[in-house]
Amino acid sequence: MSRAALRPRVLGLILLLAVLAVFPYLYTWPFFGGFLDEFRTFQATRFGLWLIILLGLNLLTGYSGQISLGHAALVAIGAYVAAVLINDGFMGQNVPVAVAVLTAGVSTGMLAFLLGAPALRLSGPYLAIATLAMIIALPQILKLESISFAGQDINLDVAHWTGGVQGLLLDRPKSPGSLDGLVTDRQWLYYEVMVPAIIMTAMAANLARSRVGRAFIAIRDTEVGAEHMGVNLALYKMTAFGLSGLYAGVGGGLFAYTEAFMSPDSFEVIKSITMLVAIVLGGLASIVGTVFGALFMAFQNEIVDAISGLIPSIDILKGYLPTTKSDFERLRGAVYSVPLIIFIIFAPGGLAGLVRQVGNSAPTWWQGARLRVTGWASLVGLATPRRRTGPDSGPTTEAAHDPEEDKRD
Amino acid sequence: MSEFIQTVATGLSMGSVYAVVALAIVLIYRSTGVANFAQGEMAMFSTFIAWSLVVYFGQWSLPLDMNYWLPFFMAVTIAGLIGAIVERVVLRPVEEAPVLNSVIVTLGLFTLFNTVAIWRYGGIAKPFPSPSFFKGGALDVGPVVISRLNIGVFAMSLLIMLLLYLFLNYTKLGLAMRAAAENRLACRMVGIPAGRMLTMGWALSAAVGAVAGILVAPIVFLSPNMMFATLIFAFAAAVLGGLQSLPGAILGGLLLGIIQNMAGTYIGSEIDITAAFLVIVLVLLVKPNGLLGRRVVRRV
Repeated sequence: MSRAALRPRVLGLILLLAVLAVFPYLYTWPFFGGFLDEFRTFQATRFGLWLIILLGLNLLTGYSGQISLGHAALVAIGAYVAAVLINDGFMGQNVPVAVAVLTAGVSTGMLAFLLGAPALRLSGPYLAIATLAMIIALPQILKLESISFAGQDINLDVAHWTGGVQGLLLDRPKSPGSLDGLVTDRQWLYYEVMVPAIIMTAMAANLARSRVGRAFIAIRDTEVGAEHMGVNLALYKMTAFGLSGLYAGVGGGLFAYTEAFMSPDSFEVIKSITMLVAIVLGGLASIVGTVFGALFMAFQNEIVDAISGLIPSIDILKGYLPTTKSDFERLRGAVYSVPLIIFIIFAPGGLAGLVRQVGNSAPTWWQGARLRVTGWASLVGLATPRRRTGPDSGPTTEAAHDPEEDKRD
Repeated sequence: MSEFIQTVATGLSMGSVYAVVALAIVLIYRSTGVANFAQGEMAMFSTFIAWSLVVYFGQWSLPLDMNYWLPFFMAVTIAGLIGAIVERVVLRPVEEAPVLNSVIVTLGLFTLFNTVAIWRYGGIAKPFPSPSFFKGGALDVGPVVISRLNIGVFAMSLLIMLLLYLFLNYTKLGLAMRAAAENRLACRMVGIPAGRMLTMGWALSAAVGAVAGILVAPIVFLSPNMMFATLIFAFAAAVLGGLQSLPGAILGGLLLGIIQNMAGTYIGSEIDITAAFLVIVLVLLVKPNGLLGRRVVRRV
């Protein structure tokens, strides 16, 4: 990439960082106070921690192509490690939050690295089930008090650590006393989450463009091919799991700290699925896409509200089609599963892919979309397939073709 | 000893339901390579359709238990239609794409069916009728006592398996569907419309799933989340059996039902799911293609 092309990008990044740096104070300014408040700052904090969690999932699923339905389990493990360390301390000593979160990240990462070993032998749906097993089993394990085996009671008091069904309560995060009056608790929390989020995003972006990232993509595209080119399959697959665990652990630790509450039901199967939905809508194997995904996770309620606001309530449709706001509240899952299916069929690159195509050239994007829709229509039998033999239609298809959706085997 | 047999017998009944849903999953997986995570929710939705039909037909009293069987067959037919539409509209386009895409589409369908059911029918569990000969007291069979409902579910599952076996092995349509699953190109060459066979496969699978849904509904009560646990166990059963093999799905389902019940009886009910999944992961580690699956060698 030439210097000239690089500079607007660098400028944009600096601007973005500047906005992120002052964001928690924006609502105190005259103009921004109209539409921002302290709650938005808290939502931005949530965005930061979802960003970390989803980066891990995207490294694993988007870049290395390993489907994981168990990511929420890793997040939960990280959250519990951090929560226990913050609440109980270690060997009688208080543990600083940063150390607790880092410990959560490293321990979850190591665990995930080891869990990656069985995954070496599994792929596709088999892997999905094995990871699903993890998230299904975890709540049961977290609530465990004792088990009886062959008539004997064995004391396995996990619930003593995890608080069992009730979960764990943490103290609400507080700003340090030395900064009294300068920063509120929520503003401080924002920085505590956003700084690691930015650092870990930069790390992931660099990693994706490094030797490791290329190895991940090679494994995703063709395992045999990657191995042939000298990629150590076992090592890199386990590394992918380990890295995703590291991100999940840090994100989970920050989650426990931010929400100040953890219970075995905070992370269920549906959370895992929603996370997968988020990175697909945002864009697989893309850092920008992960940012979109994190926005989706943090602003789900607002998105559902916006969509339900778009459709006026018509009395004739009542009872047959969703029209009112409460309908959409109940249809929350459909509000994102329909776009999800549409995206995966018509724009497998997600929002990030769309943005990239629009950025490249609007007409080709439009033609590409039209081609996809007509292609789909002929596939499902709504239209007769048109033969694409004209000399001018060929290059269009080529230009609109996203390299990411090349057939992968 | 009688406790042991009792556990196995109860496990078999639940396991047979897992086996039927697993069959539905395997039917689709064999022909299109799609692991249908929405199978359970489609079945749940069809069961709700059956329920509304039962309520509707409740205003007349029909002979021969038709108040149950008429809605039953209508719902199974509608389920088949839904399956065919789903294949045609949303799965055909991702068929050639990477596995991840189809997994995500079926996960999307999962949430779609689930939330639409919650919206239309509400989240509260409803009682669901069972045919009149399932009702009544428990039966003494040798050393164990089994409820009629459990026996009925087991018998119906066996019947479905038998019908499927006959259909896939002795009818022209069934054989054509198997052929389309096996080798699409060769199929087209001998004049079997492979695409249509795949649609039929989805329809069949959705219908089988619907039967399973209607069978478990009296046991677990009708609610939008009723098939969730069943789906997960059925999936595990299919994987255990090898995802490719229909007998494997049955074996896996029955085994899983027994393991789950055993763990519940001898270790503790709070650990039954974990124990069942531990067994699956262990089996997968030893035999990554399941108990009866075959190794697939793919060209790059």
